[in-house]
Amino acid sequence: MKIQMKFKSLGLSAAVAAMLSVSAWAADPIKVGVSGPFTGGSAPMGVSMRDGVKLAVSEINAKGGVMGRQIVIVERDDEAKNERGVQIAQELINKEKVVATLGFINTGVSLASQRFYQEAKIPVMNNVATGSAVTKQFVAPEHAENYIFRNAAADTIQSAMIVEEAIGKRKFTKVAILADSTNYGQLGREDLEKALDKKGVKAVAVEKFNVKDVDMTAQLLKAKQAGAEALLTYAIGPELAQIANGMEKLNWKVPMIGSWTLSMGNFIDNAGKNGNGAMMPQTFIQDGNTPKRKAFIDAYVKAYNPANGRIPSPVSAAQGYDSVYLLAAAIKQAGTTDGAKVREALESLKEKVDGVVATYDKPFSKDDHEAIKMGMPVMGQVNEGRVVAAK
Amino acid sequence: MDIFLQLTFSGIALGMIYAVIAFGYQLTFATSGTLNFGQGEALMLGALVGLSLAGGVMGGPYLNYWLMIPLVMLFGALQGVVVERIGVRPSIKTKNEFGWIMSTIALAIIFKNVAENIWGKDDLTFPSPVPAAPFQIFGANVQIMQVIVVLGALAMMLAVEMFNRKSIYGKAVVATANDSDAAGLMGINTGQVVTFSYALSSATAAFAGVLVAPLTLTGATMGTALGLKAFAVAIIGGLTSGVGAIVGGLILGIAETLTGYYISTGYKEVPGLLLLLLVLAIKPSGLFGKTTIKKV
Repeated sequence: MKIQMKFKSLGLSAAVAAMLSVSAWAADPIKVGVSGPFTGGSAPMGVSMRDGVKLAVSEINAKGGVMGRQIVIVERDDEAKNERGVQIAQELINKEKVVATLGFINTGVSLASQRFYQEAKIPVMNNVATGSAVTKQFVAPEHAENYIFRNAAADTIQSAMIVEEAIGKRKFTKVAILADSTNYGQLGREDLEKALDKKGVKAVAVEKFNVKDVDMTAQLLKAKQAGAEALLTYAIGPELAQIANGMEKLNWKVPMIGSWTLSMGNFIDNAGKNGNGAMMPQTFIQDGNTPKRKAFIDAYVKAYNPANGRIPSPVSAAQGYDSVYLLAAAIKQAGTTDGAKVREALESLKEKVDGVVATYDKPFSKDDHEAIKMGMPVMGQVNEGRVVAAK
Repeated sequence: MDIFLQLTFSGIALGMIYAVIAFGYQLTFATSGTLNFGQGEALMLGALVGLSLAGGVMGGPYLNYWLMIPLVMLFGALQGVVVERIGVRPSIKTKNEFGWIMSTIALAIIFKNVAENIWGKDDLTFPSPVPAAPFQIFGANVQIMQVIVVLGALAMMLAVEMFNRKSIYGKAVVATANDSDAAGLMGINTGQVVTFSYALSSATAAFAGVLVAPLTLTGATMGTALGLKAFAVAIIGGLTSGVGAIVGGLILGIAETLTGYYISTGYKEVPGLLLLLLVLAIKPSGLFGKTTIKKV
């Protein structure tokens, strides 16, 4: 009797297992990796990017997914550390078997991790990292195919905009560059120097500092002594706040014009009133000037309820959101999740992708893996704890 | 000239912070021959507890800045006792020469992780108790908070010195520092003195934490770099000399800001560390340290 029971239950569980595997095959989800720093100084960008991605994924899934398959995201915190990024890349590729990876906030992490995706022929959509080298790591002729794409404003675009604002528009002749000692800061500094060079201007002081430095007196004094009329910055939130607050310590105030990180919540909060007036290129500003953008902002605030209704990094959230739609369009066009086919589809997208940053009409080609072109970003300005469009 | 003054003032403010933490290293070294390598973390915990009491991160503010300081020091003292009981006492008991190094480092990492979980990994702003606008001395700008840091650090060290010289408990501490075995034979509970020195050392660090926090940002990772630099200061000045901590701190702080300006900000930490190597090569007991002869 007992034995019989056992057989019965065994048969039953086998049947259930068979059924489960059938249904799993029918709606085999599309796994997409998300790698970004969700803790630490870059967290506002990482968290906003992830939440933007989640928002887009849930919208797509609610409409039936891509090719009838749901998208599942596998998110990992790379802590803005290169070595963590590398571990995560290997885990996502070999263990999770992702179809593509979205993310990378930090240029250094991006450059360190992408090699693995390139080798595995899995597309990467950089939705926040801005270093100019990011999409140029595996270009022809050394590499036949490049699996690295980006829908963030590259540093060459940003530095040109920063210099145009300072030299072209506001007619400053003496500017100082302050950049942190990371990949991000130093590559950005190079781009700024090149952009200044084009205008025939040389920075009166070029200073650097380390992440976590608590005293910016020496750097600021050098800029002040050199007669700088504006500070051009390339760093992340907390240290940028140290610069703004350091100027107050020295009773000196000149405009800060810098890369888009001046829009980070941890700059705005930690600098307080000293941050007012700081200007930076933005692909997206949280003011909802089109119905689609307004809907996106409302949905984000409703889903994630950020403090004071302010998205920690609106640019990252918007680019994270758009990166999913770009990828989904490519998978749909390719009709498969095969990496090589998806890459080809991305390079020849037929359908216009309607994002919140822009409407992407053939955003990529074989030689151009940058979705954000010159002219798309606008200048934003810090005003009483928020980023608004610069007048 | 005003540039030089400005750099010197900033260097002094920075150096006094190093000095207070270095002083904490000395306190425990004097009584037990051990150091708390988590001194930077004690500072960080002090700053974060202070922020929770006097700032808005935990639904506060509950107290104003000045009333919060004694509570933070009390917390620091308790934290020091924990470090001594768990990390140091076992290795003193077993006469293990190196056990305390690993265990104080381990505790430091644990404290940092706990802080990350309670307060998050982000840097937080510590509201300044005094106006942030600077005033001028001979053309150099100085913030009131920077003056408070310098005076507070000096006052703290002076108070500890007075306590050691004038009170009976302080005399027990000094006796233990001079000769632990003899002090034990004279009826001093040297174990308790060691615990006390750890409490005092962490309380000093916590105090330094709330002093420095309004000038910088507060966060779980703020202590590591400060603790390491203060250790260099303690070595430069000598582990047995209070004056050494102050002089060492000022040397390192001023060297950093001056190098940053006159040479390159990329090299600002180098001269201080070169000095450290020099001191270790020529006078290993530190500029002001007593040379101790260890019989083997």
